[in-house]
Amino acid sequence: MTTLKGRGVFGGRASGPALVTRMPMNFTAAFTKLANLLPSKRSEIQDRHHELYKKKIRGKVLVFPAAIGLTYTGMVLLQRMYEKGRPAAMIVQRADSLLVSGTVLAETWFSRGVPVVEYGSDDLFEKIRTGDRVEVDGKTGEITVTGK
Amino acid sequence: MKLEPEQESILRGEQGQALARALRTLVAYGEAFGAKRLLPIKSGHLAGSFGAFIFRAYYKILEQLVADGVRVKVPTTVNPRPGRDLNLINRITFRRQNFLEKSFAALGVTPNYSCVCYDRENIPGRGDILGWAESSAVQFANSVLGARTNRNSVLIDLCSALTGYTPEFGYLLDQNRRGQVLVKLQIEKMDANALGFVIGHKVVDGVPVLENYPFSRVELKNLGGAMAAAGGVALFHVEGLTPEAPDLKSVFDGEPRQTITVTQQDLDAIRAPDPGRAAMVVFGCPQMTFEEAMELAPWFAGRRVNKPVWFCMVPDSLERFRKTEPYQKVVAAGVELNTYCPLAALTVRPGKIVLTSSGKCYYYLADTIYGTREDCLKGCGVKP
Repeated sequence: MTTLKGRGVFGGRASGPALVTRMPMNFTAAFTKLANLLPSKRSEIQDRHHELYKKKIRGKVLVFPAAIGLTYTGMVLLQRMYEKGRPAAMIVQRADSLLVSGTVLAETWFSRGVPVVEYGSDDLFEKIRTGDRVEVDGKTGEITVTGK
Repeated sequence: MKLEPEQESILRGEQGQALARALRTLVAYGEAFGAKRLLPIKSGHLAGSFGAFIFRAYYKILEQLVADGVRVKVPTTVNPRPGRDLNLINRITFRRQNFLEKSFAALGVTPNYSCVCYDRENIPGRGDILGWAESSAVQFANSVLGARTNRNSVLIDLCSALTGYTPEFGYLLDQNRRGQVLVKLQIEKMDANALGFVIGHKVVDGVPVLENYPFSRVELKNLGGAMAAAGGVALFHVEGLTPEAPDLKSVFDGEPRQTITVTQQDLDAIRAPDPGRAAMVVFGCPQMTFEEAMELAPWFAGRRVNKPVWFCMVPDSLERFRKTEPYQKVVAAGVELNTYCPLAALTVRPGKIVLTSSGKCYYYLADTIYGTREDCLKGCGVKP
């Protein structure tokens, strides 16, 4: 078991299997494609330029460096969390205004936000591997990793 | 966060539950970034102007706000329409457009429908605090006008416009507006769009400071739009030109964190070798202003385009342009003038390569090739 100390950005406690990428996430490119209209593919990443193409984020602790893209990003994330198929939590190296907006909006308007923890150091991607069981605390910033 | 009595009263629901939620959104958003207070804003600008049917949560929130009868507290403009009537697929995709526009009207939003809101309808002054979205407008307000806004998301922009507040963090604070990266220019033939695209890629989200160059207002608009799209830059300075950079000494705290050089070669590298292969040509993104249209028009006089050509214009600019003689010549040449956002209107168009002189359009629209203004004029057959 490994414990990492990040910065609690938003939300409470949540856990799930990790889905890890070193590539920034463009949520608008990932979740506004025709395929995302199918209930079975709502949470499937449809960004062809991304290494997580066709991976599902539902129930996962999504670990990535930062969000990129349009000022639509907050609304796209809100929509993702509003419907079934939201992630369990997000761990990022840099929490930017658009990413935080999405989860804040989902929580304030629909009680569907997910915790966000910021952890800047590059060992993030060595300490957490895809499939690891991860628990995060969006208040204290504590991340607990227990193997697969 | 410490709140003022007026803000406390909104939070308690004294102006309705929907407005209380809007303020709670801003408090949570600000607290995530360590904001100590909410500041009053001078104006708003909304980016969520495409009525795509998939954004159901957005429409739920708008319904609540309209039902509560709330209105914007400050002058608030809104981004371009998506070109719903262009074809069947757009009519299906953007089928909530009427609902969206009716909601904006009910909330008291100015129906300018342009991303270049700062051209006429919504012009901030230096030091004004704003609650804007739309990366290109945020960029222009911060960099060229010296106003202060973060790069807010859709809906955060609306919460700010309705409550009249934005949390104090990021680009609202002096220390985050200082120069970070010095950009040296070795350019023989300036192309502001290409330059913005290259800087966006190289700087990502720092604050670049360009060496002095006498950019026009139009060039600054297109430079900034491309920079904000290709990277996440929300503020840049130009030595001796933009308001917060009278000289290099005063815009940097000591030495720049990094110095980069952009050369003519860098600009030429993004130009398509064969612009003629495009199926259509798009000018204007951010939307074309009256001045740009007047400047471009003489090239089309007495000629005929050999493929569809769009001028995507600020609605108010198109109205004024219609009354001029150059307008008649542009129309006679076969150019289509509209007020769409090309990024939305052209999203679905199988197999059609678009040639554009916009660095922002080139970045966002799939199957798009880039050319200088000259390349684009050649590409549609009006320049030999």
